[in-house]
Amino acid sequence: MADMESPKEEGPEEERSGVVQRALGWFDSRLGLSYQLLRPAPQYSINPFYWLGALATVAFVIQGVTGSIMMLYYVPDPTQAYATTQYIFQNVSYGTFLETIHLYTAYAMIMLAFMHLMRGYFVSVHKKPRELMWVTGMAMGFVTLGFGFTGYLLPWTIVSKSATDVGIGMMGALPQPVASFLTFLVVGSGSDAGELLRFYDLHVFVLPAVLLVLLVVKMYMLEAHGVSQPTTGVESLPPKKKKLIPIFPDVSVYLVELAALFGSAVIVVSVVFPLALAPEYSAALAGQSVSQPDWYFLWIYQILKISAFEEAGLSVALGAVTVIFLLLVLLPFIDRGKTRSIRDRKLYVTLGAIFVAEVAVLAVWGYLTPGVVIPDEAAVLVLGGTALLVTLGSVVAYKVVFGGLGRMSRRGGSGGVRADRAETPVSARAVSSRSAALWTSGIFVGLLVGGAYFIAGCINAVVALRLGSSGALLSLGASGAGLSFIVVGSMFLLYRLDLGSGSIRRRIRAFEVGWKE
Amino acid sequence: MTDESGVSDGKTVVTERMSLRIVSLLLLVAAVSVFVLWSVNPVGSGSESTFALFLAVDMVCVAMISYVERAVSHEGRMARAPLIAGCVFILLLVFAGIYLTN
Repeated sequence: MADMESPKEEGPEEERSGVVQRALGWFDSRLGLSYQLLRPAPQYSINPFYWLGALATVAFVIQGVTGSIMMLYYVPDPTQAYATTQYIFQNVSYGTFLETIHLYTAYAMIMLAFMHLMRGYFVSVHKKPRELMWVTGMAMGFVTLGFGFTGYLLPWTIVSKSATDVGIGMMGALPQPVASFLTFLVVGSGSDAGELLRFYDLHVFVLPAVLLVLLVVKMYMLEAHGVSQPTTGVESLPPKKKKLIPIFPDVSVYLVELAALFGSAVIVVSVVFPLALAPEYSAALAGQSVSQPDWYFLWIYQILKISAFEEAGLSVALGAVTVIFLLLVLLPFIDRGKTRSIRDRKLYVTLGAIFVAEVAVLAVWGYLTPGVVIPDEAAVLVLGGTALLVTLGSVVAYKVVFGGLGRMSRRGGSGGVRADRAETPVSARAVSSRSAALWTSGIFVGLLVGGAYFIAGCINAVVALRLGSSGALLSLGASGAGLSFIVVGSMFLLYRLDLGSGSIRRRIRAFEVGWKE
Repeated sequence: MTDESGVSDGKTVVTERMSLRIVSLLLLVAAVSVFVLWSVNPVGSGSESTFALFLAVDMVCVAMISYVERAVSHEGRMARAPLIAGCVFILLLVFAGIYLTN
């Protein structure tokens, strides 16, 4: 009887009414379902740019699902690889759709990983205490490129086999222990069967396992450090933005929304541009076709095509590319400044913009000139011109955007007296104009990258015209039209910017009456 | 500030009942598109495109339902533009799917 009168000790499930509620409560108290496993995220992180890595993971999951279905039919043997791929295209229900989605999500994964990297670079997420998160992310990026390299060979088409052979050939130009190890890893005995099997194993088992381990490590560190704060600091944000929201359901629902939109976009692109299988590889056909890597390796391929890097210079070019990758990996230990603000990191932001512009220009140039050796002077003109343009653009953008912004902040903040940003909270109006200025500078950089590309196109077309190429006139016209569009866009942007700050009008007036501020 | 039409800061104030109606409608569209995509002939490039487009309709519906749920539970109001854009996108996908079927 005493037991019946004692207070309940079983936990919250006993207090609930109804069989289902009590059953849920029983499981909840034993399994801790309602226990908050992941740390809540701040409201300001409800922004697609904070979740580019998550979208890349969604792409990885889609590839896992589509790849697993394709594995049911694909045989990794040179005599059957192409036939089984063709079988998937022609006989398996929705086979073409499956292959197309697998390829396009791979492209999306690489592009999202690159955007994630560059966004992290510009807002300097690599700084203390996230140095190792950055290094882990870079390792994940390399694994993602490895997916692309190993998966490209599997259909055993003339394009994929020739390009992979060029890639393997380039490994031989690396320093000796590295070259031998990599060649052994991907080629083995040197036979086609061994090579295909190794690529298949790497693509299907090794790389996914490595990526999953790295993903867990990175997620653990994300859980420890949380999402990075805005570069302007959280003090300037309105309280609503600083509020913490739980991962489930708030952030999870947002991620579902993003993932569904991403999935629908990939599906629509796959319907508009369905994949077509290239002809099967044969030694006879290989000699007639120009080998070209997939788009994400085109910028490296274009560097290697510069005539100075032909033959003996190949190891120098590969060394340069390796140094670029090493600098990116070691960035947290090179860029050790405390500030994360884009305004105060002119050098690194300009270098990053140059890197993005050069990669874009090289990739497009490589796509337009397959198998053509690039003369040294053309390379210097295009690459040097792009770097110069982006640098000039960056200087102008900093002067116009942040200069004008500074004046606006001072006007709105403390009545003409320069406010100390570290100590004085910035007004809501200044925050919104700062956000607008960041967007404007982003669009400005985009226009500059486009401008660099079209200028490179013009130079390339002029060189081709002088060499007597028939299609160069059309290319020149298209590049000129693109450049005109960029110029008009830049003028419009500057005009819009001037509506806010009036800085250009003031400066023009200053030119008219003498330079007086 | 909310005006007489229930618009606040450019966003429409949405009650629980209104959100339920929107979600029900989206669920209905999603269910119909699931029925259509599983009823098409699985072999053939045209039917593959139809399947893919109706799958995309489902995904857009899921995204819109997530948006409504998030907006209503968090702020109690939502912008009209994403919903209108989503509806236009769904209509385009459905018409493209019907066109490809024929």
